[in-house]
Amino acid sequence: MNKAILSILGRDRPGIVAAVSRTLFQQNCNIENVSQMMLQAEFAGIFIVSMPPGTSAEDLHRGLCSSLAPLGLHVHTKPCEIGDDHCATDPCEPFVITTRGPDRKGLVADISEVIARHGVNITNLQAVFKGGDAPGDNIMIYEVDVPTVVDHQALAHDLRTKAEGLRLEINIQHRNIFETLHRI
Amino acid sequence: MLTDREIISTLDMLKNEHLDVRAVTLGVNLLDCAGSDLNHVRRRIAERVMGLAGKLVPVCERVGQKYGIPVVNKRIAVSPIAVVGAALSPADLVEIARTLDAAAREVHVDFIGGFSALVEKGLARGDRSLIAAIPEALAATERVCASVNVASTRAGINMDAVLLLGRTIKRAAELTADRDGAACTKLCVFANIPEDIPFMAGAYLGIGEADAVINVGVSGPGVVKNAIDRALSTRPNLDLGSLSELIKKTAYKVTRVGELIGREVAEQLGISFGVVDLSLAPTPNVGDSVGEIFQSLGLLAIGVPGTTAALALLNDAVKKGGAFASSRVGGLSGAFIPVSEDLNISEAVRNGHLCLEKLEAITSVCSVGLDMVAIPGDTSPETISAIIADEMAIGVINNKTTAARLIPVPGKAAGDHAYFGGLMGQSTILPVNNGRGDNPFIRRGGFIPAPIHSLKN
Repeated sequence: MNKAILSILGRDRPGIVAAVSRTLFQQNCNIENVSQMMLQAEFAGIFIVSMPPGTSAEDLHRGLCSSLAPLGLHVHTKPCEIGDDHCATDPCEPFVITTRGPDRKGLVADISEVIARHGVNITNLQAVFKGGDAPGDNIMIYEVDVPTVVDHQALAHDLRTKAEGLRLEINIQHRNIFETLHRI
Repeated sequence: MLTDREIISTLDMLKNEHLDVRAVTLGVNLLDCAGSDLNHVRRRIAERVMGLAGKLVPVCERVGQKYGIPVVNKRIAVSPIAVVGAALSPADLVEIARTLDAAAREVHVDFIGGFSALVEKGLARGDRSLIAAIPEALAATERVCASVNVASTRAGINMDAVLLLGRTIKRAAELTADRDGAACTKLCVFANIPEDIPFMAGAYLGIGEADAVINVGVSGPGVVKNAIDRALSTRPNLDLGSLSELIKKTAYKVTRVGELIGREVAEQLGISFGVVDLSLAPTPNVGDSVGEIFQSLGLLAIGVPGTTAALALLNDAVKKGGAFASSRVGGLSGAFIPVSEDLNISEAVRNGHLCLEKLEAITSVCSVGLDMVAIPGDTSPETISAIIADEMAIGVINNKTTAARLIPVPGKAAGDHAYFGGLMGQSTILPVNNGRGDNPFIRRGGFIPAPIHSLKN
């Protein structure tokens, strides 16, 4: 299958998704997955599309750039590699790591370094830093997949040690607790 | 994907509102340990308890860590010792209590319940021996809890047993006079006792239960109070129907946590999961109080007019939320009002807002009864029995569980301060009407028959 992954970045405004999808439709592409979000006033969207035979990611990129550049949007396009949708992974348990504490530079880098060192994959990250020392104003939420072979105690210990050094309150909890509490 | 609101509100419930799993209680069936040879019975009990409960504490710690929810107390409930030790003498049964205490210490649980008898329809030999052993058993041990069911809606009230228990409580207090009668904090007298309570001092493993079972007690008065406070801060005119709905939803969440933890502990121990008991059970910590909920609802203090209505609303909403959250709800499930264990309730006693009579009235709508009530040391055994009889009548007629955990504090009078320490807390001693007076009604003994609505078949 001939697929490409696109990322679209730019100042948010009405009509971005419409413009992207119209261009894709005109190029006879089929959208398979879309995820979009807004951070402050900026739009970010990721699309995986299947392209008709004979169309390359470069062709698609040129088409998108010409229609989206006037809207102030930046486009990055990359062909999907074969096997991307069949990644073999170890069995994992979903956990959520949260931190609260005073803002400073390098918090995400420091915490994610510990997570990476243990071979744990971050599946979703939300972080809000409003600055200052109010714990509720500076929050990081990492949703992670912890392979069952990972030493959970050692991961928790390393994260706590790192968080202490950064004066952060840290929690590592199985994802089920949040779903159990809030969802029927 | 989880929303940040879901995550932050969970963290707040855990960190600031004292949401925890109050007790994971392992039920251990001892019925096949019965016998007439004391040493043989002791050995079998010790082997059974330590065999089944050896991993209880580490597993609870591990599961608690996994979900970030502390499992505060790990406990054991055994089959009624009056049945297991029916062939033994009172002195032998005190030794059985020591065995249970040692086993509990060995596996690091803070309480072991089941030094119990079920006598609502009559006192058998084993029951008499057990009740005779209770004062010394509770005075000589640290972790053993006792309970006696003296009444039920189907059987009525065994007034002979009620009379006997009045004397038993008095004796237990005397044996621990140096600790303000602390032995009595480990003794509950019940009507309609459930077979699966995970909370002490009333936990025992029912006769109809399997070899082993995990029951979970979840608390969370702080979570309920904070939910009410938060809602009222944005909508100060919220009516009681809306507040009831809010409490119900909060109770739902708390119950779900209990079931999640309980099922996982049970699975890891290879033991079946029993019930989750959602009871608003306070501890002597600020922010972990049932009394504070009454103030959040708008009452000056627990005990002032309006208290019974507020507690009825609270207890009912908690039960409904629990019932929706789990099909395995059991135990007491409602709101506890243990005087000495709740800073705010004992404060209401000290300030004169809450008296024994009002406490008794509100037990008709709470989930247990007269709980952790310190009374003057010179209260007569007959009067203690009479207070128990009144409490049992409320349970029997209203087809609900009621209990009395009364502490006649030796050498102290109404208005004095009693200190039990730890989870048992402290309290001002409540005055008792006709405390030292004669009570021929109670001395008549016999049975108060079962009410007409017991004839259901």
